[in-house]
Amino acid sequence: MIARAGGVAPPEVVASGFGWTYAGRPSPALSGLTFRLPPGSVLLVLGPSGSGKSTLARALAGIVPHALRGRWEGRLAVGAQEVPNTAPARLGERVGIVFQDPESQLVMPRVEDELAFGLENRGWSRSVMLDTVPRALRQVGLSGFEPRLTQALSGGEQQRLAIADVLAPLPGCIVLDEPTANLDPPGMAAVFEVLRALAAERRHTIVIVEHRVEAALPLADLVLILDEAGRQIAFGPPAEVGPRHAATLERSGGWVPGAWLGGATDGHGWSAGRSRVAGGGRPAGGRLPQHPVVEARGVVVRNPAETPGSWRTALDGVGLRLEPGERVALVGPNGSGKSTLLSVLAGLRRPDSGAVRVGGGRAEPATDPSRLRSDHLADLIGLLFQDPELGFVAPTVGREAVARAARRRGRQGISPTAVLARFGLAGSDDRNPYQLSQGEQRRLSLAAYALDPPAILLLDEPTFGLDRLGAERVLGLLDEASGGGQAQLLASHDPRLLPACDRVVALESGRVVFDGAVAEFLAAPPYRPAEPWRSGVAVTGAEMPGSSRAVL
Amino acid sequence: MSFFPAPLTARPGALLDRVAPVTRLVAGSAWLVGAVATTDVGVGLRLCLAALVALPLAAGIPWRSVPRRMAPIVIGAAGLALVAAFGSELNRDPATPALLDLGAVRLTAPGLAAGLGLGLRLVAIALTSLLVFGGLDTTRLADSLVQQWRLPDRFAFGTIAALRLAPLIAADWTAVGAARRLRGLEPRWLPGRVVAAIGRLFTLLVAAIRRAERAALAMDARGFDSGTARSRYRLVSVGPLDGVVIAGAVGSAVALVLVGR
Repeated sequence: MIARAGGVAPPEVVASGFGWTYAGRPSPALSGLTFRLPPGSVLLVLGPSGSGKSTLARALAGIVPHALRGRWEGRLAVGAQEVPNTAPARLGERVGIVFQDPESQLVMPRVEDELAFGLENRGWSRSVMLDTVPRALRQVGLSGFEPRLTQALSGGEQQRLAIADVLAPLPGCIVLDEPTANLDPPGMAAVFEVLRALAAERRHTIVIVEHRVEAALPLADLVLILDEAGRQIAFGPPAEVGPRHAATLERSGGWVPGAWLGGATDGHGWSAGRSRVAGGGRPAGGRLPQHPVVEARGVVVRNPAETPGSWRTALDGVGLRLEPGERVALVGPNGSGKSTLLSVLAGLRRPDSGAVRVGGGRAEPATDPSRLRSDHLADLIGLLFQDPELGFVAPTVGREAVARAARRRGRQGISPTAVLARFGLAGSDDRNPYQLSQGEQRRLSLAAYALDPPAILLLDEPTFGLDRLGAERVLGLLDEASGGGQAQLLASHDPRLLPACDRVVALESGRVVFDGAVAEFLAAPPYRPAEPWRSGVAVTGAEMPGSSRAVL
Repeated sequence: MSFFPAPLTARPGALLDRVAPVTRLVAGSAWLVGAVATTDVGVGLRLCLAALVALPLAAGIPWRSVPRRMAPIVIGAAGLALVAAFGSELNRDPATPALLDLGAVRLTAPGLAAGLGLGLRLVAIALTSLLVFGGLDTTRLADSLVQQWRLPDRFAFGTIAALRLAPLIAADWTAVGAARRLRGLEPRWLPGRVVAAIGRLFTLLVAAIRRAERAALAMDARGFDSGTARSRYRLVSVGPLDGVVIAGAVGSAVALVLVGR
């Protein structure tokens, strides 16, 4: 097969009455989609969680209907290729898709082999591949990364590599399904910089599904708004569609660009008013005992480094106090030690030096959590994993929700019905937790701590992948628990959460670089975002989207 | 926390780096045959020493990265050697003088030699494997398996994908254990712990299958095995040096086994 070195003209994408119902589901995931994307245009798909945004992305790539079962309706075509009649491999030559999780879409151990993999599969000649690999890396700002190990890259670098993977075979149409959902702000900024350059080139028809609406909106020529049932609310240029349909989108629970709501955009890229997560309606903890429930002093944790016998310091003398009823945001760039600190506070790791003491519930104050018996630890501390799936311990949603309380009180007399209803999971009792959507999984992992809430709740990125309604729901549930005296520590990249916290602790390179009020933190962030472009590319820090605001 | 030591960093341009990965497999198997086919203490010892010399010289693997990787194998081999030494039939011969005689337990020089021989040969096998696979780029191995031995792509690249997932699955194992401890499900007593470990393994299996499914989906999305003949980005060739290395390995294996006979 002859390699096409010149590139392919971007295709037109047309939908007409398009709909899809997954096998075994009573209602369609998508219905009545009718739109036309001119070649080289950029479409942003907006809608709440469960509105079928990912289903549309999958359909454009042919995963729906070719790899998943269900009922197809209407018409969806990329260029001259009707999706249902085109083999996925053929469609794959025109459409490249990038998913949320960078780790699970990379295949090969090294960067250059990763890029070459897709070209080899298409039978490209070796000489063309030798030209294409560095070109595709340059396009995403990863020049010189050829020999690096893909696992050793940061999330943002991995995601840019995944974009290079789909760009290299010159597909003409690119679909991105929440490409920055799992990234820290520097990683996110770098990915958006790549997307901005791609959009300006006009050499690809681009479809973006993205929760970071403020950053994505300026790239879009067209927006498609879906409601919670997967029906098309509106399609058209943002300036036309936005003001008219923002209220509907907001009501349905999706993130709404601040500009559409008429509010001024604050320094953090989010409108000062309504696009921020609502929250903070909890009672002040005046009557609560004022002794710390968590106290860490001089905590040092070292991890084995790549060269045998050497060590990398993950936490370097960290001190932290949490009072009952207090909610503290734990911020810092990737690799600054946030997750390590959570695992130390949760008693999953013993620090190499320093001390951690927890108190409350049945445990004596001044207890080392790493020495607590598992059941006593569970009474005292909860930890929500960044990936909720890894935290599940029961085979059904109902049993997962009551597993913790049932251990304490016995299974009799505990019904999950009320808890599940409160967490928007009514009727899901017998479903497998793995089958839930990301937002539902997040709520289930919170529901598991709702009965007999622990005195201390640690959360790792609690709003990852959630729409506005989902994030507000999570905060509402947290409000309830902190009203009861629960101390909460939220490790998060999401600046939208900060206003709902009492205090900010910022980590950088394993040290606490800030511990104080939210307003003070926002006024003068104590550290700069990590430089996302490591090697020589034509983009400077000054041109980074919000290099001053992407600090969390 | 990690199950797996960090990947070995071999000196670039080492002799074994300049031959095809399949050549390493053939050369290494010559020594393995030597280690398996004999029972002699001397052969085991000579193979171990030869492998230790070859590690930095031929494979470019410095000695300092050897102990951490070999420690569990040496401990295991020592245990097996002890069992084999005391359990050897050779100890029963009343004509051989006993080194140690506790009535029921008797140890003689030939028995001790048999045990030591076994232990040393196990260590030699492990060192040879380190020589062959340590610092070997898995992608190059897959390319070589496909290009020299005509193995199917699906097998070779499936193996790479599996190797890539291994550390992720190890991390999942840690996370699953942490989740159970945090929910109060970590049992206090041994029988409960055994049952819990089975449950934990099951959860891990589910997670591993989901990871494998996603990896397969990712490979398919990139057009893997779609009917088009694959082209090659990396070319692995076999030259005179490969012949020299194989001849050297076979020759040295024969010499190490036969010397002193």
